[in-house]
Amino acid sequence: MKSLVGIGATVLAGGIALGLTGVAVSRAQSDPSTVTAVVKGTAQTPQGTVPHAFLELQTWPDSMAGPHGKDGGPHPDWVSYGPGTHLVLPAHSLVTLTIQQYDSGEEITNHYFAKVLGTVDGTETVDGKVVSEVDPTAIGHTFTLHGLAQDGQDELFVNAPLPAIPDGAKNLANGYPEPHVVTFSFLTKGPGEYVFNCEFPCGDGTYAKFGGPMSTRGYMSGTVTVTS
Amino acid sequence: MSTGRHEGQRLDTRTTWRRPPVLPILVIWAVLTVLLLLFAPVPARLMGRPASPTMQEIETTVTWFTGLSAPVAALVWAILLYSVFRWRHRGPQPPPEDGSGRRDNRRVFTIWVLGSAVLCLFLLVWGLVVIAPRTSEANPAQEPILVDVTGQQWAWSFTYPDEGNKSATELYLPVGQTVAFRVTSKDVIHSFWLVQLGIKVDANPGETTVATVRPTQIGTFQLRCAELCGLYHSYMQTTVHVVSVADYEAWAQSPAEAHS
Amino acid sequence: MTTSVTAAPSPPVAPVTAGGIMRHLNVVTGIVMGVLLATATWWVTSSTFPVLDEGDHKDDAVTILTLVAWVIGFLIGVGAFVGPARWLLGRDLTVEDEHYLAGKDAGVARYFRFTTDHKVVGMQYLVTTMVLFGFGGTLAMLIRTNLITPGSRFVDPATYNSLVGIHGITMIIATIIMVSGPFGNFILPIMIGARDMAFPRLNALSFWLLFAAVPVLISSLFLGGISTGWSAYAPLSDQANRGMDAFLVTIVTFAISTGVAGMNITTTAVRMRARGMTWSRTPIFVFGTVASVALGLVAFPMFEVAMIELGMDRGMGAGFYDPSIGGSGWLYANLFWLMGHPEVYVILLPAIVALMEITPVFTRKPLFSFTSAILGIMGIAGLSLFVWAHHMYVAGWAPVLGGPFMVTTELISIPTGLLFLVLLGTLWRGRVWMRLPVMAVYALLWNFTIGGITGIYLSDIPVDQAMHGSMFVTAHFHYTLMGAGLTGAMGALAYWFPKMTGRMLHEKAGAIGFWVAQVGFNVTFMGMFAVGLAGQPRRVADPGTYFRVGNLISSIGAYTIMLGMLTFLGAIIYSWRAGSVASASPWGARTLEWQTPTPVPLENFEVLPVVTQDFYGYGEDGHRAAAGAPAPGTPGGPGAPPPQGPDAPPQRVEVGAP
Repeated sequence: MKSLVGIGATVLAGGIALGLTGVAVSRAQSDPSTVTAVVKGTAQTPQGTVPHAFLELQTWPDSMAGPHGKDGGPHPDWVSYGPGTHLVLPAHSLVTLTIQQYDSGEEITNHYFAKVLGTVDGTETVDGKVVSEVDPTAIGHTFTLHGLAQDGQDELFVNAPLPAIPDGAKNLANGYPEPHVVTFSFLTKGPGEYVFNCEFPCGDGTYAKFGGPMSTRGYMSGTVTVTS
Repeated sequence: MSTGRHEGQRLDTRTTWRRPPVLPILVIWAVLTVLLLLFAPVPARLMGRPASPTMQEIETTVTWFTGLSAPVAALVWAILLYSVFRWRHRGPQPPPEDGSGRRDNRRVFTIWVLGSAVLCLFLLVWGLVVIAPRTSEANPAQEPILVDVTGQQWAWSFTYPDEGNKSATELYLPVGQTVAFRVTSKDVIHSFWLVQLGIKVDANPGETTVATVRPTQIGTFQLRCAELCGLYHSYMQTTVHVVSVADYEAWAQSPAEAHS
Repeated sequence: MTTSVTAAPSPPVAPVTAGGIMRHLNVVTGIVMGVLLATATWWVTSSTFPVLDEGDHKDDAVTILTLVAWVIGFLIGVGAFVGPARWLLGRDLTVEDEHYLAGKDAGVARYFRFTTDHKVVGMQYLVTTMVLFGFGGTLAMLIRTNLITPGSRFVDPATYNSLVGIHGITMIIATIIMVSGPFGNFILPIMIGARDMAFPRLNALSFWLLFAAVPVLISSLFLGGISTGWSAYAPLSDQANRGMDAFLVTIVTFAISTGVAGMNITTTAVRMRARGMTWSRTPIFVFGTVASVALGLVAFPMFEVAMIELGMDRGMGAGFYDPSIGGSGWLYANLFWLMGHPEVYVILLPAIVALMEITPVFTRKPLFSFTSAILGIMGIAGLSLFVWAHHMYVAGWAPVLGGPFMVTTELISIPTGLLFLVLLGTLWRGRVWMRLPVMAVYALLWNFTIGGITGIYLSDIPVDQAMHGSMFVTAHFHYTLMGAGLTGAMGALAYWFPKMTGRMLHEKAGAIGFWVAQVGFNVTFMGMFAVGLAGQPRRVADPGTYFRVGNLISSIGAYTIMLGMLTFLGAIIYSWRAGSVASASPWGARTLEWQTPTPVPLENFEVLPVVTQDFYGYGEDGHRAAAGAPAPGTPGGPGAPPPQGPDAPPQRVEVGAP
C-alpha cells in the first residue's frame, strides 16, 4: 500500500513536471506579431472575380523599427521584417503585397532568386516600374513564400526579390534612407499553412550569412496562414 | 539447435529432433516464420508504388531481406516464447536444483557460425551485385538529361543546361529517360531525396555530387531535404512532375513559367 | 536516499586534521569557484578581445572560454587538483588523507565532495545517469507532443530543432555512462576482487568532469539551443548560434571524462584482478566493459578533435569546415562518424554483457560458450572501427568506398550473432527463475533482433538511398540503443540494486513499469519505422499530413513509455528509501561482489579472495543443489564474515591470506 502511494506519487509528479515543462517551453517562444491582409473590393483575374486583399510589410536593416519593441529587443542590430512575421491571408483571393525595403545589400548567391516568380504575370513593380527580375548583384532581400506538399493543401510558391538601397544613401528624418517600394500580387488558393523566408543571405557574420536573423523566427522568416 | 542430453534426465530413445523441447520449438519456429513471411511484403507496400527501376529494386531487396530474416528472427523468438512458457520457474526462491552444467556445444557453435556466415555472404553478394550495374549506369547508351540541382537554405532550384539553362523551383522530368542530377549547395549540407524514385545524394557546399535515375511512372512525387539544414528544414521540399516526353518538351519550350 | 550505504564504522578514528584543505572543499565550493572564474573570464575576454571586421567570432570565443573557465574553476573548487598540487609541493597525501578522500566515516556528505571510493563514484554516476535520462526523456516527450498532429505549432521549428539536438546529446551521454558508470565503477572492482580502482583520484575526476559538463549542456538551452541535431554537421554548426559553443565545450569535457574513466577501468581490470583470476576465469561483464571503454578510448578523441576544430572555426574563423575558404564538411563528417559508429558499441556492449552476467544466475546454468562471448565482443569491437563511412553512403564523399564499407558493416552481423548464441544457449533448457533482472534478457533479445535486422537494410547501399536520413534510421537506432542498451541497463540495475543500496527493488512495480515501457517502446518505434518507410525525413518539425497516423501512433507509444519509466523510477525511489532489506547475496550468484557483505565495507574485502575456478560452475559435480538464496529480508548486515556466512552459496572461491 505504502509502495503504491510512493510509486503513484512519482508517476504523478513526473506527469506534472512534464506538463509544466511543456507549457513553459511552449510559452517561452515569443509569438511573432500577426499582420492580417485587409480585403478592399474585388479584382478581375483569369480565375474570375475574387476578393482583393492588401498587405504591407517592411524590411528594416535593424530591429529598432520592427516588431521587436522600442529598444530593438534582444538583437537590436539584426535585420528584420516588420511589422510582423505571421501573415494571415484570405483564401481564393488576389493578394497585393507592398514591401518598403530599407536595407542595403549585394550580390545574391543564387541568381535565380533575383527573378520574380509565382506572381500575377510574373512581375512586380519597383518604385512604380514593372519588372520581372531585378539586378542580382544588388539585392537587399527576397520575399519567398513556400509550403509543405501535403494532401488537402494547395501548393503556393511566390518569390519577390527586393532591390538593395545603394550604400551611402542619405538617411531621412526617421533614421533610414528612402525605401524601395516593391508591390506584387499573387493568387491564393485553398486554406493552408505556409512559410516565408528571405533567400538573400543577410545574417551577417555567420557562416554563409544564414545564421542569426535568418535562422531565428520573427526576423527574416515567418509563417503564412491562408484562411477560408 | 539442439544441445546434448540433459544429464540425469531419464533416457529418451527418440532422436534429437523429435524430443522436446526441440520439436515444439520447431513448431513455434515454423508458425512464426510463416507469419513473418506473410509480413514480408508490408515494408515495400509502405514505401509506396515505385516510380523508377531504382526504387523497384530497393523494394525487392527490402522484401527479400525481410523474407530471409524471417526464419532467423523466428528462431530467436521461438526459443524466447518456449522459455517463457515452459522453462519458467515460479516462486520467490530459485529452483532447488541447478540446471545442466553443460558449457559448450561444438556442433551448435559450428552450425551457428556457418549459418550466420552464409547469410552474411548472401547479403554481401546481393549488395555488391546490385550496386555493380549502378556504377555503369553513369554512362548508358542514351545520353542522360542533365539537371543542375542547387540546394540552399530552405529552397531547391533546378537548371536544365540542355534546355537553354531554363530554371525552375519545381522539378520536371520526362518519363522513361535517364536523368543525371548534378547536386550542389550554396551554404550547408542538404540531401536531395526523390522519395518515390528511390535516390538520395547529399548537396555539399563547394562540391558536386551526381545521382542518376530513370523515372518510369507519370505522376507527381516529392523531393524532400533529408539532412537537417536549419530553421525551415521541414519546409525544404518541392514537387517532382514526371510527365510524358511531349509534355516535357512543351514545358521546356515555354517561357519561364508563372507558378500559379 | 543514501542512508543504507553508510560505511561501516571502524575503530581507529582518523585524526581531525586528515584531508587538509580537502576538508573544506565540496560541490558548493566547486560551483562558487566555477562561477567566479567564469565571470572573471567573461569580463576579461569580452573587454579585451577585438571585434574582427569579418565574422561574428568574438561572441563565440568569449562564450567558449567562459564555459571552459567554469569547468576548470569547478574542478579547482571541488578539489580535483589538490592531490597533484601537494605532490608537486613535496607534501604528498598521507594514508589518513587518502582515507579521508575515500570518504571514511563521512556519511552522506561524501557523495557531495571529491571522494575517491569507487562505490561512491558508482552511486554518483547512477544518480547522474537517472537525472540525465529524466531530462532527455522530458525533451523526447516534448518532441512527440509536437508531432501528435501535423502542422502543430506547439513549438516553433527553431525550438523543435533544439529539442531534437539536446535530446540527442543528453541521451547519448546518458547511455554511454549508464552501465560502465554506475556498475563499471561500483561493481567491477569488487567483481574482480580489488579494493578500489587502479587510480582512485582519476576515478573521482572522471565523475566531476561529467558533473561539470551537465550545467554547460543545460546552458545551451539559454544560449539559443543546439539547433543542429546532436550530430552537429558542419558547416551548419559553423552557422548555428551560441548554443553550439556550449555543445562543443560539453563534448570536449565529456570526452576527457570518458577518457580518464576508460583508462582507469581498463588498467583496473588488467592489473588488479584477484589472485588466481586468470583471463578465462574473469567474468564476462569485465571483458565487455573493458572492451567498451577501450573502444571509447579510441573513438572519443575523434569527436574531441572535431569539436576543438569547430571551436576554432567559430571562435577564430579558422575555417576547418568552411568550404569557401578551403575547408570541408566531409572532414567533420568523417571525424564524427569515426567516433559515431564505435560509440554505439560502446553503449551496447556493457548492457549486453551485464545480461550475460545475469542469465546464468537465473537459469542456474553456466554461461553458454564463453569462447563465443569473447569472440563476439572482440569481433564487434574490432570491426566497429572500420564501418564508419556507412553513415556517409549518400554523402558523395567517396562513392567507390561504398562496397568495402558495406562488407565490413555486414560482417559485424557474425560476431553479433555470437552474442545471441550465448544468451540463447544459456537460456536453453534452463529453469528460468523469472525475476526482474532476467526479464530484461527477454526484452533485449526481442528488441535487438528487430534492431539488428533493420540494420541490415541500412547496410545495403541501394536500400540506404531510400532510407538514409529518414525516420527509419531513427527507429532503428532507438531499437538498438534503447531497446537493447537501455533495457540491458535496466536489467543490470535491478540485478545489482540490492548490492548497491542494500535493499531489494520492488519487484512487482518494477516489472509493471518495465513491461509497460517495453510495450510503449515497440509501439512508438514500429510507428516510426512505418513513417520512415513512407518517406518522412528525420528531424522535421512539421512532417505534414502524409504521415499523420504513424506519428500519432508513435506519440501514443511515447506517452506509454513515459508511464512505464515513471513507474520504474517510482519503484527505484520507493525501494531505495523503504524497500525490504537485502541479504548479501539475494540471487545466489557466484561472482565475487556477492561474497562480500552489504553494505560493502570501505575496502570491499576483509581479506582478498583467491580464485580457483570461474564463476559459472552451476550444475557441476558436487554442486547440483542450487545456492540457498535467502528470501529478501534477511539482512547481510555490516560486519558479517563475508564469504563463509550462512547466506553465501556453496562455492569454490577460496578465501584466505594471499
